[in-house]
Amino acid sequence: MRARGIELRRDFFSHYARQLGTLSGLLGLVLVLWALTPHFLTVSNLLNVAEQAAIIAIVAVGMTFVIITGGIDLSVGSVLAFAGVVMAEALHKDVPLPVALAVALGTGLFCGLVNGALITLGRLPPFIATLGMMSVARGTALMFTEGRPVSGFSGGFRSLATGEVFGIPVSVIIMVGVYVVAHLVLTRTKLGRYTYAIGGNEEAALLSGVNVRVYKAAVYGISGMLSGLAAVILTARLNSAQPIAGMMYELDAIAATVIGGTSLLGGEGTVVGTLIGALIMAVLRNGLNILGVSSFVQQVVIGSVIIAAVLIDMWLKRRAG
Amino acid sequence: MKKVLVLLLLAALSLSLTNCQRGGEPAGGGRQRIALVMKTANNPFFIEMQKGAEEAAKRLNVELVVQAAEREVDVEKQMQIVENLIQTRVAALCVTPSGSREIVPAIDKANKANIPVVIVDTRVDAKALSESGGKVATFIGSDNYEGGKIAGEFLAKKLGGKGKVAVLEGIPGHETGDSRLRGFREALKATPGVEIVASQTANWERDQGFNVFQNILQSHPDVQAVFACSDLMALGAVEAIASAKKTGQITVVGFDATSEARGAITDGKMEASVAQSPAQMGALAVENAVKLLKGEQVNAEFVVPIKLITKENAGQ
Repeated sequence: MRARGIELRRDFFSHYARQLGTLSGLLGLVLVLWALTPHFLTVSNLLNVAEQAAIIAIVAVGMTFVIITGGIDLSVGSVLAFAGVVMAEALHKDVPLPVALAVALGTGLFCGLVNGALITLGRLPPFIATLGMMSVARGTALMFTEGRPVSGFSGGFRSLATGEVFGIPVSVIIMVGVYVVAHLVLTRTKLGRYTYAIGGNEEAALLSGVNVRVYKAAVYGISGMLSGLAAVILTARLNSAQPIAGMMYELDAIAATVIGGTSLLGGEGTVVGTLIGALIMAVLRNGLNILGVSSFVQQVVIGSVIIAAVLIDMWLKRRAG
Repeated sequence: MKKVLVLLLLAALSLSLTNCQRGGEPAGGGRQRIALVMKTANNPFFIEMQKGAEEAAKRLNVELVVQAAEREVDVEKQMQIVENLIQTRVAALCVTPSGSREIVPAIDKANKANIPVVIVDTRVDAKALSESGGKVATFIGSDNYEGGKIAGEFLAKKLGGKGKVAVLEGIPGHETGDSRLRGFREALKATPGVEIVASQTANWERDQGFNVFQNILQSHPDVQAVFACSDLMALGAVEAIASAKKTGQITVVGFDATSEARGAITDGKMEASVAQSPAQMGALAVENAVKLLKGEQVNAEFVVPIKLITKENAGQ
């Protein structure tokens, strides 16, 4: 186990080296946009981009954990909507703010753990289990609200998205906090090591005494809980929780994760890369808006960037390997 | 490698600060820049609106930026678009809200940046707006409630005051669809013989209009008419009727009077559609935005007239 730990650590270093590729992609994008428009590289716009990236970036952290284990979580967008409306109803019943937040995170965690149980105990492929949850959570959210958005919250709650600390939006601070914690968990804890081990070779992890079921379920729980956290920010931002919120977020989160260098085959990836991936997506959307590019062209550009990013990443890995 | 990148970033950042100072001058050769943010750019209704707005912009010599989310109901994406346009310092902002309440934080942000906001097509929730203290310069749209009522009255008369009707609703909680539905139901109250036997959402989508109406036909084979809250859903129902070989037996009334729906009306596959003149809305939005920028007073509201398109006037 110790030898494996050292080997994994060496892997991390080579990962950081690879992230330079993704990072220079982001910087290149920034430079291009800076050259094209005076409105892009300003302090207020960069904070604007960070704010817009925050929700997908937080969801993508959970996605990164899941994908590192070799799984996938298609339910994140629906779980976000469900956690959002449950919390919104709680807020309308005047529960204290911390309780409402616990409700959002708890609802997400619960859905995630159900995913985990279906995958580990029920032996369902993650794709199927979370595809089912995607529909169940969405339908439950719609039933729960009779299809209508739940809106209008106190200023205290809304400050979770609209507030600023030293000029930095609270949502951005939450995002950074999530990434710091996730990075530490992934690199410094047993849970993190086992996450890589399960994705690298599940059989080997099992044989070396890892309780694969528990750790796998925990990873899906984390993904659900972070969807709940993203729901808090989205609801506070729009002053409304919609049962149809978060549609297609799973695809944005997967895109951010793979652009960040996480392999869909499992066993490798970092949250730092995912953050860069989420920022690339947000910068791209922001830049194309600012340049006044039509929404049709935007979709083509975003799709091409995802493909190019992964192509380059694979090419670099082949060269390094 | 790393050092070079850091240097580049620093250089870019320091230059950006100078950009901060010199920003604000209108781009595009001194012409004023007006933005139109629509719900989506791939629905015939909004394509018409964009055309109307573009023509008006050309006529008034202003630069028009049109942006839209990929999906009509994506309130968060619409918010991002508005935020990004505020960053480019557009002179005025015309918006068709994807969510009547969810748009309010975006309006607040535009207010803060001193950008006048013109609301088009879908009304902002008055309560949410007053709670946030947001300000809207003017509203341009047609009365969807009235449109639904016209459709209901027409259908009741067409059925001779007696019959079974199905309804295809828009996305629940969507102001536009909800008002059309309320108007329609109100009109039918006057004729108790006309009964709504099924009322289901098809989420504004054509394919769902097809499937949902096909299902309704299974459970209510004797349904005589269908009112769809949009033409896309109505055209879906028309296909479902055709595949059930019942074309001509079921009266279809839609909403929006898109060119395809007009064609279906001429062909006798659809009975009528409520016309809203989106092109006129787009033009009025730009015209009023220009007036606001000149400091002129504008009305708090412009109601674009609604009319019913039937076989007699479908070709116009």
